[in-house]
This record gives sequence, structure tokens and C-alpha cells, in this order.
Amino acid sequence: MSEVDMAIIKPELMKSYIWLQTADGSIQQVEQEVAMFCPMICHEVIQKSMGSSKNNAISLPQRVNPAMLSLILDYCRFHQVSGRSNKERKSFDERFIRMDTKRLCELTSAADSLQLKPLVDLTSRALARIIEGKSPEEIREIFHLPDDLTEEEKLEPLKNTTDDPRIRLLNRLYAKKRKELKEREKLKNVEVEEERVDDRSVDDLLSFINGDSRDSKGIKTSKSKKKNRRRKDQQKSTSGSEATKNHNKEPNGLNSVCRSAEVGQKIQPSFGATSNLQDAEDDIFANKNEFDDADIDDEIDPALKEKLDREVEDFRRILNSNWPERMQEILSFGQERKPAHFSLNGNGSIRSTDDFAMRILPQLASQPGQF
Amino acid sequence: MQKKMAYSFPDEVLEHVFSFIKSHKDRNAVSLVCKSWYEIESWCRRKIFVGNCYAVSPRMVIKRFPEVRSVEVKGKPHFADFNLVPDGWGGNILPWIKEMAGAYPWLEEIRLKRMVVTDESLELIAKSFKNFKVLVLSSCEGFSTDGLAAIAASCKNLKELDLRESEVDDLSGHWLIHFPETYTSLVSLNISCLGSDEVSFSALERLVGRCPNLRTLRLNRAVPLDKIASILHRAPQLVEFGTGAYAAELRPDVFSNLAGAFSNCKELRSLSGFWDVVPAYLPAIYSVCSRLTTLNLSYATIQSRDLIKLVSHCPSLQRLLVLDYIEDSGLEALASSCKDLQELRVFPSDPFGVEPNVSLTEQGLVAVSLGCPKLQSVLYFCRRMSNVALVTIAQNRPNLTHFRLCIIEPKTADYLTLESLDVGFGAIVEHCKDLRRLSLSGLLTDRVFEYIGTYAKKLEMLSVAFAGDSDLGLHHVLSGCESLRKLEIRDCPFGDKALLANAGKLETMRSLWMSSCSVSFGACKLLGQKMPRLNVEVIDERAPPDSRPERCPVEKLYIYRSVAGPRFDMPPFVWMKDEDSALGLS
Repeated sequence: MSEVDMAIIKPELMKSYIWLQTADGSIQQVEQEVAMFCPMICHEVIQKSMGSSKNNAISLPQRVNPAMLSLILDYCRFHQVSGRSNKERKSFDERFIRMDTKRLCELTSAADSLQLKPLVDLTSRALARIIEGKSPEEIREIFHLPDDLTEEEKLEPLKNTTDDPRIRLLNRLYAKKRKELKEREKLKNVEVEEERVDDRSVDDLLSFINGDSRDSKGIKTSKSKKKNRRRKDQQKSTSGSEATKNHNKEPNGLNSVCRSAEVGQKIQPSFGATSNLQDAEDDIFANKNEFDDADIDDEIDPALKEKLDREVEDFRRILNSNWPERMQEILSFGQERKPAHFSLNGNGSIRSTDDFAMRILPQLASQPGQF
Repeated sequence: MQKKMAYSFPDEVLEHVFSFIKSHKDRNAVSLVCKSWYEIESWCRRKIFVGNCYAVSPRMVIKRFPEVRSVEVKGKPHFADFNLVPDGWGGNILPWIKEMAGAYPWLEEIRLKRMVVTDESLELIAKSFKNFKVLVLSSCEGFSTDGLAAIAASCKNLKELDLRESEVDDLSGHWLIHFPETYTSLVSLNISCLGSDEVSFSALERLVGRCPNLRTLRLNRAVPLDKIASILHRAPQLVEFGTGAYAAELRPDVFSNLAGAFSNCKELRSLSGFWDVVPAYLPAIYSVCSRLTTLNLSYATIQSRDLIKLVSHCPSLQRLLVLDYIEDSGLEALASSCKDLQELRVFPSDPFGVEPNVSLTEQGLVAVSLGCPKLQSVLYFCRRMSNVALVTIAQNRPNLTHFRLCIIEPKTADYLTLESLDVGFGAIVEHCKDLRRLSLSGLLTDRVFEYIGTYAKKLEMLSVAFAGDSDLGLHHVLSGCESLRKLEIRDCPFGDKALLANAGKLETMRSLWMSSCSVSFGACKLLGQKMPRLNVEVIDERAPPDSRPERCPVEKLYIYRSVAGPRFDMPPFVWMKDEDSALGLS
């Protein structure tokens, strides 16, 4: 029979086929238009004239096993038909992508080796969606990955910093400078001393002079001191606002110069911020009320007070233990989730230091509203 | 337990998967999965956010993320906005720019908030990054229009220049001229904070006219109303527009020009500016009102009547910023016309006045909470509040995520019962389970903190002033609020105990600010010495903190976690432990 006769009787025989071989040795033939949808196969056929028969079957990359090839060909078979609408394609993709994560990973890899970009994008996006919103532990579980980041690696940056000789030098210089400033302050601390002296009543002084065994009151933050401070704040804020002509931070009619002696702060409404919902200047606190200097402890329920005292003592005890030993302990924990070392309440809201270490580096580059 | 063999990807494939993961939180999770993911992720990270410039050094960031194209850094703590952080405290971006100039020649975006930015920094940016595209300076200071001129002259690919709320030294309005005539890529320009009385208007007009992709333009007050029409005609594609002073003599031709120009702007969705409003000119914007999603009237001193008319034209409104001139009646009108409202901010027109000057009470907020089902974010200044109103708001709007209430007078009790507002705020945290930000005000005892610690599990930022009775209050918050990242406190009776007992918690947060509280210097020293990953800054302008006995309460305290160790740029009024004191040598 002539070729033409054959075509009439068995039209499908006239379709061209490409021969493909997977890494396990098995060979199959695939409709040409479907196979050629893969750039890698296309390249082999056109540039190297491969795939025309069983003997010169195109060797597919190792990552393409028969199961993956089958999936990929399904994808190609659908998408290579030109008449389909975008909606149809999207719908197909959404159904196509529904498979377990392991297969999805294999498929991504296989598609990548065949350079089939649309499928790589589709599977990559699906994997990204699986990863999003999960914790590192959860991600490790899903992809069966080892938990091999060590504490030491995470603590590394801080160690580097303190070891840097320039930094040590700077620290010492800075300490010296501060000491100098302190000396200078002591010399002209008359103002400060006067404030302290003011605290003592005349009676106190008299009784001291007269030899009464009265405890020296020491330095107590008195109300008068607070007043001084507050006035200073006011001066600061008023002078600050005038000096910097901060009129753009104030709405019309809002004069930043304090009208009453009591008010310490300006308000600054947020303006112009279109996209930033989380940040704006807001609260105003008119600085009217005197701070109550009474011993705060008196207000607490004694049982609770005791509890707090105990907790602080525990904390002090822990802190005062040998610090280098502490660090060794932490570093040797590895994967264990020990309870918080520095929090003494029971509810686990404070994470352990190793948890913190695990998080600190990436968390420093985290999203607004996250750090 | 047997671990299954991990499916191994080639690095490029993993990188490709990561390229679809955008949020910082997710990128961080990815980087902590395992060694190989950590490394690959660090190579392909393009955007980083540093919430506290002192938490990490630029060098560390560069070492970890060598291919970054976009950087966002924040400096001073939030309370700097209320002048609580003295001048000279720090937050200078220059060290970062210097390091990045060498390491990231292809850097495209810099976004800064509350940082000191000098002209030197701006000039360095202009010189170092050939493909620089986005500069956002939010609440920054320290630079002048000379620095802006350098950016304009050199950054050929600049798309965004946004100076929102920054303090700029206006040396000359002519810096705009430095944008070359060939420069056409501007997409967003916000110069609303500039004070200059002479903005080179012709330069501005020409700039606007030759940038076809311009979508955001926020002018400063100095641009007069009668110039708006000509600007809008050159940029009818604008999506966001901020006027200058919205005032002029009433003239029909000016009005009709203006109205015509606005009606031409079919894409306009956001309006702001409106300094010095002459109400008769407000109808000029009516043609765009139906499409408006954001309206910022926080400078507009217009009365309730005009405000009601305006908002009733804006059914699509999602964000409204307004002065309390809107009054309860205006908020009721808002509640009935704007069903898509998501965010409301009401600012006080006269915060220092002793008597209320407007009729704005808690009723306005209650009305909006009832009428606007999508309301999520509230910032509300008022003079009176009641528990019953707060409970109603909480029950109406459990979807609130940001609730910042500012009762102007500190320690104001419930005006109906004269009790504290503990129960009201308790209802807020109990019902609004997704609450992320909360500011408290009014008369509050330790009880409110107990409620917060118990219920506010998603709370990330808390602002407290003049509240509480004892350390127990602070203890409740630190021990209960699992998601807490930022805590700022002033004038509360919180001392050493709660702080020391919850020291570990501080390492899980970005920062803690306490001023005018009762934390002693001794406690600060202890914390600083024993917690190496916390920087404990004692700020005291009266005298060096260590010149006083340890029992003395410190004036201001700023604690933040850091892997960079102590910073080197502290002014004399800031004390922090140094290495010597840590070793007990000083």
C-alpha cells in the first residue's frame, strides 16, 4: 500500500512520534506536538536530530522518572492546544496542581530539568503557598528536612562583635570619656546637690545637727523634683517646637506653645500617610497629675507581693550564677526545647533563650509589625 | 523516629520557589528551616526590614544578605514623636549608607522612619546607587533642600520621593529645578512637609507635565489653590493628590477651573492637604468624591455642617482622617453613608483647652462602630468616655485590629459611674481577638492590665500613660501578652520587680520604653550587665545617671534587643553598660 492509502485507513499512523527514554531505561513514544512543548526535547530534536526512532531515543534527565513524565505530558497535551481560553487553562492548572507535596516537589524538579517554564512557575507557586504561613518546624516536617542550624551559628555575629579589637578599644575610650564627664559634673553639681538638700526639711537638719539619731533620708525623689523635671520638659517641648518650626506637625489652630503650665507635650496627628495604617503620632497626655511617691509596695496584695519578691529573688540567684557556665549550657542544648531560663512565671509566654537565638537573626529583618 | 529522606532540589529551583515568598515573616521562617535553605535564602533575599537600627549592625546585615535591593530601617522609638527622646539621642543613617554604598551598588530602595538623615547621607545616596528608585523619609530630620537637590540631580531612575512628615530645612524652593529636563520617571512625589514659601512652581509644573506615570502628588501648603487646576490638567492620571492651602478669594472662574480640573481626574482615589479651607471651594471636589477611598482632612478647620455634606458624597470611603470639628453628628452621618469605612482617625482641634470646644463625645465613636461593619482601625481623641460605650464598641466591632483611644485629660474616670475604665478596655481586649495595637487612657487600675494579659494574645504594640497602681500591672502585661513586640509606658507606678521578673520576655520584644516611672538605676545596671543581648539605655538629661545612687529612679529607660552589642554613638546623657562594667572592672 502506498503511504497515502495508509493515511486514509489509519490516519493516526501519520502522526509523528518522538521517542523518549527515562533514566530507568524504559522507552516510550510520545506525540510530537506534545513532546515538543518541552524546550529541552525541542532542542534535542531540532539541534541534534534525536528522538526519531527507538534507537536514538532522547535520554531524559535523571529527575524525570516515568511517573513524572506522564504528568508532564498530560500538562503539555492540554496546553499545546492553541484554542483554549485563559480561563480554561487556569482551571486546568488548578486541578492539575492538586497532588501531595512529595509529588509536587518531584514535578517541580522534573519540569525544571526539561526547562518547561510555565510548569515550573505553576509548581513553584504551589510550593510557595504550602510554605507560607508555616513555622520552620512545620516546614521541616513537610519536606523532611534536617534541623541542622546550630546555636553557635546563630550566636556568631554577637561573638564577632565583642571580639573585634577596635570595638573593645572604642568601649574603653568611651568609658574613659564618661568618667571624665562624671568628674566634670561632680565639680559643678551644685545645682544637683541643692536639689538634694532641699529634700530635707528644716526639722531634719536641726535634729541632725542636734544629734538626734534620725536616719538620713538619703536621696528621695520628691514632688518638688518632679515639678522641676516637668517644667524642664515643658520648656523643652515648647522651645523645641518653636525652634524647629514644627508647624507641619500641627493642624490649624493648634498652637504648640503650651498655654497652661501643666501641659508638657504636643500632639502630632498623622497626616498624609496613605498606605501606612499602623503608624501615626497619636496620644496626648496632659501632664497634670503629680506622681505619687508613696512606697509602691504598699499597694500590692501581700500574697502577691511575696510571690513577686520570690520571683525576683529566684531571678537574681539565677543571674548571679556563673555566667560563662550559663552560656555553655545554652550552647549545648541543641534541639531540646528547654523551658525558659529567665522567665519565672509558669505560663510559657516567655521563650527560652535558645528559642530567641533561633529567631533573632531573621527576625531582625522582619516585616513591619513583626519585630 | 525515622526521618524520611528529604527530597533534594537543585538550588536554582529552591531559589525560584522562594521568589514567590514575599512577606518578611515567611522569608524568616524559610531561613530557619535548615542550613541549606538558610544559605540559599540569604543569597536571594532582596528586601530587608530592620525595625530598630541599633538591633543589628549594617555590616552584619550585608554579610548575611549580600544581594539586597531594598532596605527599610527605623530609628527612634515612637515616643520620640512627643518630644520624649532628647535631641542628639541617635538614629543617624549615615553609617548604614556608608556601608551599603560599598556593598550594595545596585540598591534601589531606601525607606527610613524616625531617623536622622543629613545632607551628607543624601549626597552619598545620590552618588552611590546608579539604579536608585525609591526614597521614603518618614518623620525624619537633619537634611535640607540641598540634599534633595543632590537626589534630584543624580538619580535618573528615581520613581518615588516621599518626605512624609519629615522636618526639612528649607533653604530654597529651587531644588526642584535640579530634576533634569530629560527626567521623566517620577511616579510618586510627596513634599507636603516642606515649608518653603517659594516652591519653584514653574519647575513643579514642568516636572509634573513631563512625567506620564505620575500617580501620587502631595503638594505643600505654599502651593496656592488657583494653581491646582493647571497641575491637575497636566496630570489627569493622578490617583493620589494632596492640595496646598485650600483657600482663595471667592471667584467663579477660579472655582469652575478647579471643578473642571478635578472632574477630569477619573483615577483619583485619595485626597489630602486642605490647609486653611474656604468651605465654598469644597464642592469643587464633589465630582471625584464618589470614587474616593481615602480622605485626609486632618488640617481642615471646617465645621460639622460642611464636613457632613462632604462625607455624604463619599460612599466608597475606606479611610478618613479628620479633626473633631466633625462632632458626633458628623460621625453619625459618616456611619450612615460610608459602609466601607475601615479606618477612622479623629484628632483634637484644641487639645490644650480646658473646656470642650466641640460637641464630640464617645457617642460619635459608638455610632461609627455600629454603622460601619468593616471598621478595623481607630484613633480617637475625646474628652469623655464610659465603660458602657467601650463595651458596646467592643461588641459591635470584634474585628478591630487597632484601637487607640486618647481621652485628653489623664486619669479621667467613666463620666457616668465615676469608676475606672478597666471594664471597658477589658471588653475591648476580650472581644477583639485580633487586636494588634492598643493605646490606653483614662482612669485605669492594675485590673485593666490583668485583662490585657489574659485576653490580648495577638497584641503587638501597647501604649500606656498615667495608668496602673503597682508592679503587678506591668507584670500582667509582660507575662501575658504573648505577641507583644513594643511596649511604651510613661508616668506609671511601675518599678523594678516586674521588669526583673520578666527580663527574659524583653529579649522576645523589639523594645520597651519607660519614662517617669519608678525603675531604679540599680535595676537597669543589673539588667544591662546580665542580659548581653539587651541594650539597656538610661536617658537622663539632668545629670549622668551613674552619678546618682542606685536607688534613684531613672528619668527615661529604653531597652531593646540587639545582636550588635552596645552602640558607639551615644550622647553623654545616655548611659549604657560597657564592656568594662560588664566584666565588673569599672
